[in-house]
Amino acid sequence: MKGKVLSVLRALAFVVVALALCGVVFELAGFSAPLMFQSIADGAFTSPNALMKSLRWAMPLLITACGVLVSFRCGYFNVGAQGQFYLGAIGATVAVEALNGAPPALVVPVAIASGMVGGALWAAWPGFLRIRWGTDEVITTLMGNFLAGLLLVYLTSGPLKDPSGTGQVTASRPVALGYRIATSVGVSPTIIALTLATLVLVWLLVNRTAFGVLSSLAGRNPVMIVWQGAKLSSLGLSAFLVSGALAGLAGAIELLGPNGRLVSGFLPGHGFTAVLIALVAGLSVTGVAVVSMFFGGLAAASLYLPVIAGLPAAAIDVINAAIALFITARTFPLPAALLERLPARRPAP
Amino acid sequence: MSDILIAVLRSGTPLIYVALAGMLAQRAGVWHLGLEGLMIAGACAAAVGVEQTGSVAAGLALAVLVCVLGSTLLWFVVEKLRANPIIAGLGLTGLGLGGADLTVQSIYGSEASVTAGAGLPRLGDAFGAFGVLSVLVAAMPVVVLLLWVLLRRTRFGLRLAACGEHPFAARSVGVAPSRMRLIALMGGGVLCALGGAELALGTLQLFSNNMTAGRGFMAFAAVIFGGGHPIGSALAALFFSIVEAAGIKAQLVFGEKAPRDLLLALPYLATVIGVWISGRLRGGLKAAASGGELRDN
Repeated sequence: MKGKVLSVLRALAFVVVALALCGVVFELAGFSAPLMFQSIADGAFTSPNALMKSLRWAMPLLITACGVLVSFRCGYFNVGAQGQFYLGAIGATVAVEALNGAPPALVVPVAIASGMVGGALWAAWPGFLRIRWGTDEVITTLMGNFLAGLLLVYLTSGPLKDPSGTGQVTASRPVALGYRIATSVGVSPTIIALTLATLVLVWLLVNRTAFGVLSSLAGRNPVMIVWQGAKLSSLGLSAFLVSGALAGLAGAIELLGPNGRLVSGFLPGHGFTAVLIALVAGLSVTGVAVVSMFFGGLAAASLYLPVIAGLPAAAIDVINAAIALFITARTFPLPAALLERLPARRPAP
Repeated sequence: MSDILIAVLRSGTPLIYVALAGMLAQRAGVWHLGLEGLMIAGACAAAVGVEQTGSVAAGLALAVLVCVLGSTLLWFVVEKLRANPIIAGLGLTGLGLGGADLTVQSIYGSEASVTAGAGLPRLGDAFGAFGVLSVLVAAMPVVVLLLWVLLRRTRFGLRLAACGEHPFAARSVGVAPSRMRLIALMGGGVLCALGGAELALGTLQLFSNNMTAGRGFMAFAAVIFGGGHPIGSALAALFFSIVEAAGIKAQLVFGEKAPRDLLLALPYLATVIGVWISGRLRGGLKAAASGGELRDN
């Protein structure tokens, strides 16, 4: 327990360091740092309205972050949540288009399932390449993000294009109102229920099943797991599939909920933010629930900044990036003289 | 024929400079996923520098300064704070992309692009059709060869490789892996600045947000595909840009019949295939790298 408290404190300390670095970047770029942070807080947390918006952004992020957590715990750097999220939205759109006219009680579950399959498939090929041939999954999943982005552009400007659509942004036909699970406000009982169900199921998966225990052991010591007789390949592939399916679920929820249609290049930072949430939370499911709210707040602020405060939304990207830079840091740089006075250091694990 | 060659050299040169930066870091034992961020920072700094001062040299100097500072930050976080290089590198990438966006917006209001008044010096009419290429394109093969000599034929290069492959051995003969990594990353910063400057000022004399479009990650993949070898990495990067040029050419030839966005996907697909092949050939570089880290403890 003490170790957990310490690791939470360390994560918080590095978030503060990252925010300080952002302050420097803002000042260098010619903005007032206090004003920037004040506006971000206004956009994210200081009013009931802002909190509602934060919740709207936090829920899909929470689901995707749960997926990232599953693959990271297993020792695989699946940083392709963005692409899997897009494929989830595409899968849901295809299902809605195919079943157009059927009762919502049929269409909505099928669309969500189809989104999850889409996400899982987009995670399956990097997972397979990694497990079968040792192909580095960081590169393949990153490239998968770009490929999914291009696929989205292709589909929204071609096969799934809204025929009545005009303007510069290409988009698909809007989902019929009967099939929507939320208005553009994005907070509805269905979405809250789906989010809570995901949270509970992933918690159970990670903490109460053989898969969860074995995969987190595999993340720490794959050799031992193999010697114990576990099948690392099926374990790893399952981790990729679960992780992609959850990102796909978030994509389907965005599509049937607040977004209501497939738009090319929507929510470009979603996957990266989800990776951050999982890391800041120390790959713990309860941690993810708390940390998502913070990053959901930042996401809400990135819409608030340009519209209300007249400040660039890129400020939020900078904050996210700075947190990423520091979050995995394990030690503070202590002067050598200080280290010598401390009791002998334990050998590195 | 020469127009295809020019297109390949134009899109390939920035990629090659950045791949060389990644190769230096790889040799020293750092997985450099911050290349994308350094490249966009270099491109942005070069364009803004030229636009503000009117001098190409000042633009280049600013780009080098920004990229070296960024590399030093990454070194500090990875070596001194012992952060995970993959996540920290992705963080640096985000910082570069966001920082460039922020800088452009703060100086030029809401515009998403900067037009620099001047570009890099061109080769000139003496080179015929190739005269439109910038001097950095001509310098590229020289830089590749110099790095090859540096890494394979000098004491420094062997020490650098030792730091990446077996840090404990390097330390036992009195070479500090941490310091060598700083040198490698700072050198890589200079190369990223050149790559970014060539991207922004080589042909278009324009910087726009997200103009790197994943080229930094492709450069990283080229390092893996090229086996961490200077000439191999450069050839791998060249291969990716040949694929890109072929896609653009196909678009011109087939026009509407070939979907544009799917042709744009070709270089990313080539990257995936390249990394897959190199994993099959060498059993993955990652295994070797993580082994080195274990020994370092």
